[in-house]
Amino acid sequence: MFAVETLSLSKRYGKTDALRGLNFTVNEGEIMVILGPNGSGKTTLLMILCTILKPTSGTAKVVGIDVVEDGTKVREVMGIAFQEARGFWRHKPSSILRFHASMFDIDPAKRQDLIERTMKDLELWESRDKMFMHLSGGQAKRLETAKVLIQKPKLAIFDEPTSQVDLRGKRKIWDKIRELRDQGSTIIVATNEVREAEYLADRVTILHQGQRVVCDTIPKLKDAIAGGDIVEVDFEDPVSEKLVGSLNGLGGDVSLSPEGNQLRAKVSKAEDWVPKMTSASYVAGAKIASIRITEPSLDDVFLHFTGKALADQP
Amino acid sequence: MNRVLTLAAYNVRMLLSLRTWFVLAWALFGLQIAIYGSLMSKLVSTAVPNYLFYYAIGLMVITVFDSGAEVGRHFVEHAHEGELPYFLSLPVSRGGFLAAQAIYGVVNTMIKVLPPLIGVLWFVGDLTVQGAVFAMISMFLLGLGITGIMVSMSFIAFKSVDLYSAFLAGLSALIVRFSTVFYPLIFMPSFYSPISVFSPLTYGADLTRWVLGFDPNFLLNPILAAAVVTGVAVGTLSLSAKIVDKVIEGVKAA
Ligand SMILES: Nc1ncnc2c1ncn2[C@@H]1O[C@H](COP(=O)(O)OP(=O)(O)OP(=O)(O)O)[C@@H](O)[C@H]1O
Ligand SMILES: [Mg+2]
Repeated sequence: MFAVETLSLSKRYGKTDALRGLNFTVNEGEIMVILGPNGSGKTTLLMILCTILKPTSGTAKVVGIDVVEDGTKVREVMGIAFQEARGFWRHKPSSILRFHASMFDIDPAKRQDLIERTMKDLELWESRDKMFMHLSGGQAKRLETAKVLIQKPKLAIFDEPTSQVDLRGKRKIWDKIRELRDQGSTIIVATNEVREAEYLADRVTILHQGQRVVCDTIPKLKDAIAGGDIVEVDFEDPVSEKLVGSLNGLGGDVSLSPEGNQLRAKVSKAEDWVPKMTSASYVAGAKIASIRITEPSLDDVFLHFTGKALADQP
Repeated sequence: MNRVLTLAAYNVRMLLSLRTWFVLAWALFGLQIAIYGSLMSKLVSTAVPNYLFYYAIGLMVITVFDSGAEVGRHFVEHAHEGELPYFLSLPVSRGGFLAAQAIYGVVNTMIKVLPPLIGVLWFVGDLTVQGAVFAMISMFLLGLGITGIMVSMSFIAFKSVDLYSAFLAGLSALIVRFSTVFYPLIFMPSFYSPISVFSPLTYGADLTRWVLGFDPNFLLNPILAAAVVTGVAVGTLSLSAKIVDKVIEGVKAA
């Protein structure tokens, strides 16, 4: 059984098709990252999974329970950290967390301890006496995450958990999300940040205009892009025509883009190509200052599958 | 069930933190009775005996109305401050969620109305447990109905909050004016009296007066009044249960 399964799920708001026939599955115990630009339907999908919105057509199941037919049961097994923090404006973080814990039957004896520990982990402890409406954007987001961490639901959903959160905080939140998975929760994280996906994902689903473009592990997605690795070489002098000519003569599936002292090469396997390149440079009398080998990023993956760069989305 | 109570308790606790408001509401009630009520009572004493009592109950019914309207507004605020999606993600059925709102509404109403009710009954020398209990039940039912109406109307707020406020202000003015809260139906000009038949306050006010032993000649048939008040409560609450799901569609998801 899948932890989450949708079948030709569609959602229409007035004239906007937010989801178009989405088929999507999440395995038990994995972190599934939904990567998509603004407006691609991430939040809409998550809102349907947590029974707040109803699908226009199609079905969605959480641990085998239909979200429309049996909403209350679904809500018992899942927790969601909303994209925009939801709070009681005049309440303090600890009282908000206490309420949340009581709604999910967290053992009252352990409640206070758990709340204190989680607040300290997420660096919220210093803000414990502020009212929700006086928290900063990043603090409110941390609180939102804390709710789900305390709850430890079977299915934990995080909608852009680290937007507005500083870098240190992002790391903390990511580590906590992984810890939650290691304790047995299934996790869905929606994001438009490549780095977040790289850090967290067991698998990635790329969502674009309400449709699933592709779904796989990150290494497999990267392998799917022709050209494999990217090698950047800095020379001490400008790259000569002659050098480019002799490098092209090395064979293999290579594309070279020289610019000033730098040469950027897309090659199928860096470890085969680099030794050949260094000896050819030596023969041509070109001195190498540095070599960098990088994998294609998820940005490149996104570009490959959608024809658009993730960063350039409206 | 347990969770519904937890949810209601949380709302109520929030309500109780606004103590000053209640004191202010009671003070205003007292002031209104002391000045307006006694003045009006003198003016109309020939037509309606004991008008001060009649008026005091009318004023309580208005308080019930306001408090019901407040629960509706509270609901809309929830949605706009983003709390509604959170509440709807909790492991409580939709009916349970509404029940929690209703409990909150009842407590809110009770706190505002019970002290004035006891005060008034004591003042007119008619304070009995039985009378107070039945009067409260009658006003609860009315309050539930008003809450139901307001929540049912809340979908307008998602088109525009301004429109909702304007609509409520208009509706309140009509429901209150065209009712028997301040004047018996039999004295109303025949031009207006048919309209009053559409105001739930008419039935709520007359029913409350009847259980407190007011002269039935000035009131509607109590069985009719009880039936209408109950019907409105049940009808509008089940309507709001349906509307909650629709309303949420209008809230920005992100
Ligand atoms: N309540 C609503 N009414 C009308 N249109 C909506 C509503 N909520 C979302 N939309 C539209 O549906 C589409 C998908 O929105 P959604 O919020 O699911 O995107 P998202 O992937 O979460 O974006 P973001 O990265 O900005 O959070 C968008 O075109 C959006 O404008
Ligand atoms: Mg979103």
